[in-house]
Amino acid sequence: MNAIILSAVWGVIMMFSSILFKNKGAFKYIAAIGLIVLTVANIANTYGCDFFNINTHEMLRYTRFGLFFNTIAFLCTLIYVLLSGKEIEKHGNYVAEYYALIFFVLCGVSILTSFNNLLMLFLGIEILSIPLYILTGSDKRNLKGNEAALKYFLMGSFSTGLMLMGIALIYGGTGSFQIDVVRSATLFGTFSGISFLEVAGLLFMLVAMAFKVSAAPFHFWTPDVYDGAPTVFTSFMATVVKAAAFIAFIKLFEVRIADTSAVINWGMLLSLLIIATLLIGNITAVFQQSVKRMLAYSSIAQAGFMLFAVFSLNDFAKEGLILYAVAYSLATIGSFAILAKMKDITFEGFNGLAKSHPVLAATNTIFLLSLAGIPLTAGFFAKYYMLASVVKTGHYLWLVILGVLFAAVSVYYYFRVIQAMYFKEGDAQAEDVTPGFKIGLIIVAALIILVGIYPQVVLNWLYF
Amino acid sequence: MSLMNILLNATEGNNAANYFPIGVQLIFAIGFIATMMIATHLLGPKRKTADKLENFASGIPTHGNARQPIAIKYFLVAILFVLFDVEVIFFYPYAVNFRALGWDGFWKVLMFVGFFVVGFTYIIKKGALTWED
Repeated sequence: MNAIILSAVWGVIMMFSSILFKNKGAFKYIAAIGLIVLTVANIANTYGCDFFNINTHEMLRYTRFGLFFNTIAFLCTLIYVLLSGKEIEKHGNYVAEYYALIFFVLCGVSILTSFNNLLMLFLGIEILSIPLYILTGSDKRNLKGNEAALKYFLMGSFSTGLMLMGIALIYGGTGSFQIDVVRSATLFGTFSGISFLEVAGLLFMLVAMAFKVSAAPFHFWTPDVYDGAPTVFTSFMATVVKAAAFIAFIKLFEVRIADTSAVINWGMLLSLLIIATLLIGNITAVFQQSVKRMLAYSSIAQAGFMLFAVFSLNDFAKEGLILYAVAYSLATIGSFAILAKMKDITFEGFNGLAKSHPVLAATNTIFLLSLAGIPLTAGFFAKYYMLASVVKTGHYLWLVILGVLFAAVSVYYYFRVIQAMYFKEGDAQAEDVTPGFKIGLIIVAALIILVGIYPQVVLNWLYF
Repeated sequence: MSLMNILLNATEGNNAANYFPIGVQLIFAIGFIATMMIATHLLGPKRKTADKLENFASGIPTHGNARQPIAIKYFLVAILFVLFDVEVIFFYPYAVNFRALGWDGFWKVLMFVGFFVVGFTYIIKKGALTWED
């Protein structure tokens, strides 16, 4: 409860700080203090110290897995705010409100990591999405940003509609909104077991969740929205938010898949989803000319890898998802932070960056290697855990081979950026790169290598 | 009597027969509307004038196109009115259960009003309701 209440309250504090403080630079530090408070409160909650003892009638249930993900999300946001805070200040006069919206998104994240009831899932998804629609369109004068915001809003509302339909059907089929429903024979007279309505509802939920995590074939909004939104907000959307949607996805389906597997072949359904996502994400990313759009498609491809966790649903999958959230968030936040500083965001714009800004080029190389999953970076172990979880289930081993093949394809487009930075002549220009920014990038890169060598530094906290 | 049996069985098990009454109502609703529309078209007098093709604007002559930019403050006031109006609706259930909820309910509603006032203060301070620029 700490995380949910404090993030909402700090959002309100951020709103009022826009009235009290006129200096734009101050908001970044208020937000950072808020995130530190949230992290501390959430860690206190993890170890049994809940400040707000509210009876939610089992609508929310706090597990170590969910609370640990909260901590990761808050720390990633802290890194994001410290690294990209300057960029947020460039987007208009409503800097404090942007931070407030980010805090409201975090409130949605903390509901999604602890929901035990379909209504709470819906509420969490909405609290998560609505601030994002606003952040996407925050650059009011930019036509592309407006298009992206409208597209995101319409498609997002539509998928929310599908989700509500699914929830209604599941309620019709089981008579309960709880996700771990006890099927009683007394509910519908002589009938007990899996009803057609429940399975249909679960399929609707699958579509809606696949939309939220941008899995193919429900990915069409992703490239346009990620490309049209201001780069700083794309970075937040593609990392913390996407990982949180995956936590909700796995939380919902780990209870229901086992029950309904007699009626529906989830393995085949999810592997089709995974293959489509990996194929479309990776192949389309190869043909992009703009690095921002390439990263948007690569985020679809990464979603394909995270879907392995929903497919296998074992301990490895959960550990892997946590590790993937860390690795992917750190690398993407860093990579987008550099992208936001670049004058030209096409591949040519990166030509010769190693000469003009050696630190930016070196750290960007580490981020891209991590995204590609090269050993000694966090991305390697993230992908390893995902594939290992599928191997552990013992079925669908061809899916693992496909995953490795697509990881190899992804190396191509990530290395195109590295090639442009190091081996091509040109004068890549980056705007106002401060020493603090460079130190921040080096710290993020060091964290990625640390997690890449000892993944246990992250995973141990899941158990202790 | 088979129809009666279907309805009686429907109350017992969870099967498609549960939806039989809904189906009957749907057919009745569509049939009623269709019959009425056909009847009015066949029976009613027909006077075709150009005035009937005009947009209806409370009886006064229309002027200009509705698709033109309007100052944002109209939208702001309208949407804020709707927001606060909807929030006030939550007071009705409280008023009905005022005695039963006791002091516990009072503190909760006070908290709700607190959020309400915070939002209102924010709007005022941000100048969303200042009409003159």
